[in-house]
Amino acid sequence: MSLSRRRFLKCASATGAAALVARPVSAAAAALRTGRTPAVLVDTTRCLGCRACEAACSEKNQLPPPVKAGDESVFETRRTTDVNTFTVVNRGGGPDGSHEARYVKSQCMHCLDPGCASACPAKALEKTFEGPVVYNRERCLGCRYCMLACPFDVPRFEYEKASPYVRKCSFCADRQKQGLAPACVEVCPSGTLQFGTRDALLEEARTRIYQNPKKYVHHIYGEEEVGGTSWLYITDVPFERLGFRTDLSPTSAPELSRTALAAVPFVLTLWPPLLMGLYTFSRRREEAEKAGAGESESNHAHE
Amino acid sequence: MNSHELLTIYSAKAIEYLIAVAYVVLFIPFWRYVNGRPAAARVPAAERARGGQPTDWFRMAEGILFHPGHAWARVESPDLVTVGLDDFAGKLVGSLSSIDLPAEGTPLAQGERAWTLQTRAGAIDMLSPVDGTVFAVNHAAVSSPRLPIEAPYEEGWLLKVRGRRLAANANQLLSGSLARRWMEDLTDRLRSHMGLELGLVYEDGGLMIDGFANVLDPEHPELVAKHFLLTDGGGSHA
Amino acid sequence: MHTSNTARQALPVSWVRDKLLMGMSLRRYLRSLATPFDAVAALILLVGVPVIIYRFTFGLGAVTNLSQANPWGLWIGLDVLSGVALAAGGFTLASVVYIFGLKQYHAVVRPAILTGFLGYFFVVVGLIVDLGRPWKLPVPLVYSWGTGSVMFEVAWCVCLYLIVLALEFSPALFEWLGLRKLREWIVGLTIALTVFGVMLSTLHQSSLGALFLLVPHRLHPLWYTPFVPIHFFVSAIIAGLSMVIVESGLSHRIFRNQIGASAHADLEYITLGLGKAASVVLFAYFFLKIQALADSGAWALLNTPYGYWYLVEVLGFVLLPCVLLAHAVRRGNVALVRAGAAVAVAGVVLNRLNVSVVAMNWNAGVRYVPSWMEVVTSMAVITIGVLTFRFIVNRMPVLHQHPAYQPH
Repeated sequence: MSLSRRRFLKCASATGAAALVARPVSAAAAALRTGRTPAVLVDTTRCLGCRACEAACSEKNQLPPPVKAGDESVFETRRTTDVNTFTVVNRGGGPDGSHEARYVKSQCMHCLDPGCASACPAKALEKTFEGPVVYNRERCLGCRYCMLACPFDVPRFEYEKASPYVRKCSFCADRQKQGLAPACVEVCPSGTLQFGTRDALLEEARTRIYQNPKKYVHHIYGEEEVGGTSWLYITDVPFERLGFRTDLSPTSAPELSRTALAAVPFVLTLWPPLLMGLYTFSRRREEAEKAGAGESESNHAHE
Repeated sequence: MNSHELLTIYSAKAIEYLIAVAYVVLFIPFWRYVNGRPAAARVPAAERARGGQPTDWFRMAEGILFHPGHAWARVESPDLVTVGLDDFAGKLVGSLSSIDLPAEGTPLAQGERAWTLQTRAGAIDMLSPVDGTVFAVNHAAVSSPRLPIEAPYEEGWLLKVRGRRLAANANQLLSGSLARRWMEDLTDRLRSHMGLELGLVYEDGGLMIDGFANVLDPEHPELVAKHFLLTDGGGSHA
Repeated sequence: MHTSNTARQALPVSWVRDKLLMGMSLRRYLRSLATPFDAVAALILLVGVPVIIYRFTFGLGAVTNLSQANPWGLWIGLDVLSGVALAAGGFTLASVVYIFGLKQYHAVVRPAILTGFLGYFFVVVGLIVDLGRPWKLPVPLVYSWGTGSVMFEVAWCVCLYLIVLALEFSPALFEWLGLRKLREWIVGLTIALTVFGVMLSTLHQSSLGALFLLVPHRLHPLWYTPFVPIHFFVSAIIAGLSMVIVESGLSHRIFRNQIGASAHADLEYITLGLGKAASVVLFAYFFLKIQALADSGAWALLNTPYGYWYLVEVLGFVLLPCVLLAHAVRRGNVALVRAGAAVAVAGVVLNRLNVSVVAMNWNAGVRYVPSWMEVVTSMAVITIGVLTFRFIVNRMPVLHQHPAYQPH
């Protein structure tokens, strides 16, 4: 189910107007888009580990083909995304007592209130109204603050190049503009990946958990973490076993720096009168001292 | 590490308040300690013993009256003064081939020509610091012209002069802190003009260049020298 | 004493020789550079400059030990963060002299502003070396404003403040060049520039700390605190005061030829006064650190290796210099004040390195250690900064008054 262009434009102009008022764009976007923003539900219980998603992603983004395609030994080490690998599938332990494995696809989580976009001083990483967090390479300074800000270690940097860029999944923003699903979702044979609006997918996830309470862990990863993400995960094994960070707070990155940024106008407003007041006070004191000294000098002269 | 649920906040806030109170309480004695009366700022003993200022370029001496033309006078008795040229003048010309001193009995007038320095760049006059008559001439300085340069206030004295108006003369001369300030002022102006890097200066800060008139004007150092010694005919007073 | 015309004509010397070579011939000037310090500096540059060229030719990966897991390293921690903190003497001393009106400290305000200006300038140089795409630096300044980012605010503040510092230093430059009218005009702007400078400094010193608000998932809890902006601002003041103490002590030895006798005695008074201020601020900062601990509730972590390191920083490099300075000031012991100030400076540098490098990604697999090329590059940038400082101080009226102008 995709969103109609008219709805996009209405929301976009409304958000645009709201964003022009001094609030950070990401917060305004998040407020309006949370429910209808595009999202993907990843049901790790269904994932076969076929890595077709990796292949589709590399083809769509003109990246080198995935390493060790079709070779099971690739799962022996834990892989992370890289400058030429925007998504990876890792293997983790299956349910207790079974010899099964579970497979997890990792990529940019396209957070609702992303740390990377808020950190970027040049808006090279930007949360679009449509949902995806995209990279505008021509604006990038290469400061790598986004890499620090991302709690999922997603942005990767081309250290080996003299003209380096940041590299990450774009949620196939261009495909979404054409009304298509991301490449990885299109190709997934097992129904692990489901594309839709975030509200609808949350419903779907809750339904699955409700209908199979003994099977699923009672948590949708990405619902609250760092303010909520577009990629939602449900599993039947503890999330740590699959390599998820479970120590993330629900506070988004922009929330964390909000107070510091809010203090800026206060300093700009209050410092001048404060400092000029001090200056005037010290000047008065100096003049009083000089007057006093002058008096005593003239007294001496008279003696 | 989220200690901000309500129940834990009580104890966390309590600790914070306690710390703040402890800080305020401790601040008072700390402030008083830091503002306690200090002993005299301790200057390394070596520096104090030296007496003179190690970074001064030009040496001065105690008990000396200086004329703006860089001659000096030292009162030996109410009507007898010793007279010479100062360290500035010595460093200005750098070296003397000879020095023409007036003969005994020659009358001198304050601010008029007294003796002539013969340097590589030519003859440079100097002005007398006092009125009077030449009583004695330092023949050692005549035979060894290095002496007034190396020990201007001691063995390098030039003349002994008998004068009757020494008290009045003294009013036109600089001494003590005034003289020091005059010399510092001169030095400052020289510094900014001559360049300030270590090449011109010894490790300990002393001026290395002898005859800095040559540095100021390699073509006509005698003009520079006369300018400072006030014998360039321009008619000048400090 | 008036100068005769002949005397004035008789002082030629080309502008280059007079101003740049300080009146010496080129050969003499080059010979004057044959000192041990210059030899060491030359060695550092001989290695460092090619490394910097190599870095720009082949990219950051070829020169640094930075990685996907550790994107920030020595260049950010030392060149940028510590550099900005140590350059804080500019706004601190300018406030003391021009806003609080404590004219007794006048003798050190120009060196402090010069240290500030050169400090920030070479921070920008260090930043350009670290940025992956430094030619894009104008982007966030001119047209793509990431206003939600603390780093955006830092970039703007540092840029503006660099201009303010240049203007604050310009009277010395104009005196040197003899541009009297320009100099008088700029001096008239002193208060405005100082107020603006204090404002900008407050903002960016604290914002450099605010950069780390985004990383609770990466920064060790003992160093992660929502109060980190305040900590950075207060420790910047400490660093500024202490750097002025250290730098003035060194300058008075190294540039002795410029400094008159009375200035030496003045410096003792100044050093004691600044030492007292630094000690009081250190005292407050120590308690700020304790408060942050209470707020995070991370007391238990003190009993871990990272905890011990934290104690080293806070006890050895905050509490210790505080006590040293307080004691030294009370006893009037100028040498001990300088020693205490040096420890305080080291402490601020240590804190910046801890926050950005040591305690950052503490829970990650691969730890970052700077490569020798990163170390040499930092040394080279610092060396060029010191050489520039020496070049300027030897020629312009920084450590001494220009006799033709009123002090301002």
